[in-house]
Amino acid sequence: MNKTFVVAETALREIARRRGVLAILVLFPLAFYLSRRDSHMGQSIRFVCLGLGWALSTAALFAGSAARAIEPRLRLSGYRGHHLYLGRLVALWIVGLLLAAPYYVLIRFDTDDVRYGAIGLIMVLTVAVAAPFGLALSAALPRELEGMLVLLIIVGLQMMMDPAGSASRLLPFWFSREIGTYAVDHTDGGYLARGLLHAAICLAALLAVVAIASGYRLRQRSHLRFVARR
Amino acid sequence: MRHDTWLDALAGELRRHGVAEQTAGNVLAETAAHLWESGDDPLRAFGPPQAYAAAVADSVRLETPRHAPGGPVRLEVVGITKRYGRRTVLREVSLTVRAGEVAAVVGANGSGKSTFLGICAGLVSPDRGEVRVHGSLGYCPQGGGTSDFLVPDEHFVLVGAGRGMSRADARETGRADAAALDWDPRGGTQARHLSGGTRQKLNLVMAGLGDPDVLLLDEPYQGFDQGSYLDFWQQVRRWRDAGKAIVVVTHLLNTRDGVDTVLDLGERSKERA
Repeated sequence: MNKTFVVAETALREIARRRGVLAILVLFPLAFYLSRRDSHMGQSIRFVCLGLGWALSTAALFAGSAARAIEPRLRLSGYRGHHLYLGRLVALWIVGLLLAAPYYVLIRFDTDDVRYGAIGLIMVLTVAVAAPFGLALSAALPRELEGMLVLLIIVGLQMMMDPAGSASRLLPFWFSREIGTYAVDHTDGGYLARGLLHAAICLAALLAVVAIASGYRLRQRSHLRFVARR
Repeated sequence: MRHDTWLDALAGELRRHGVAEQTAGNVLAETAAHLWESGDDPLRAFGPPQAYAAAVADSVRLETPRHAPGGPVRLEVVGITKRYGRRTVLREVSLTVRAGEVAAVVGANGSGKSTFLGICAGLVSPDRGEVRVHGSLGYCPQGGGTSDFLVPDEHFVLVGAGRGMSRADARETGRADAAALDWDPRGGTQARHLSGGTRQKLNLVMAGLGDPDVLLLDEPYQGFDQGSYLDFWQQVRRWRDAGKAIVVVTHLLNTRDGVDTVLDLGERSKERA
């Protein structure tokens, strides 16, 4: 527990010191929110949630890539793979919630006639999924530019594809459109249930990818044996 | 140059060269006596303190035979072979390092020194062979291994937590080891703002935190000035005297460095060619 906590604390310090990146992260979803605010408030709310997901996934992608240089030596210093990825995830989840809070307050006071609880739920789920999504991308694509391009494609598709189509369900933030419809258009609970199920499956799958990738990359190789001191 | 300034510098350099305290005291007393009696300028009489200390250190080591290390085996590397595609980088390489021994891995660029150390650390898989570590392992990579946005104390706490050390203990030990390399890590400079040599000192201090039994050091003195290079070897000798088994990858092996075993991968690559 102490090891995970130290990794989380360290990762938070690292993120907090990237002030330029933090400023962009904070303002990024605002651009999404303002883009449709005049014509279609519902779409604006959906977009701000996607913007949050995109911003946090990007932060996680860069955090994961930056950690690759130091993680092998931390593994040799007594950390296990799960200490490292869980610590980093906790830090990213905290950053995500801090990022989402002002947007929740903004929507709370800037819109009428929406289900605020459901919007809060979308934001929490988006934060929960975006962090492992970015880490999973950094594990699969070690070069930041490649990871960034894939992220761009996935979030772009998320915005353009018809959410009713079955292919769009393969995208990680599909649940935000579904629960968003429930929150904005006051549809029946089926949208909420489908969204929750989708978020739970995505979260579990992405956590599994992160855990497996970390376990494989930081595994103890079979040629090396530690034996007790004589 | 003033006598006392020159003598202070000489005392520091003798320490850096690992000259025993008593011998250094005798040298300083004799040198001081000569200077006071003759009234000579020390630079004219003995030259720069660095060069004079190096000459003293050489003569002392020639007189004093290196103790025969005979501690228990800490690192056993048996029959390591590594290929990249069709190119065999390492063929049947073996090395045994005991507690209180320093082994140097030398060879030209591309001879597989870093690959060999990566295999010893378990970061690279060989095609054949086995590595046995008796105890715990500390590793100092050639580059990287630090986090740009963390200050040195945070690096110490991070590595120390992995080794089960308390925050205060990790910070204190890290600062003390840094001082041995003539570096004060306090002040909150993030690693990205450290010079290349200072960053390597940070890397080296992190490797030694938590008292590992085996230290694997991959050209850790990159960017060091001459003084820091001597401080580094002095630190290696302290580790050796504390019973550590140390493997240093180097292409700058000096006769004064006093290693116990040399594994020349350059010779092996010539044999392969």
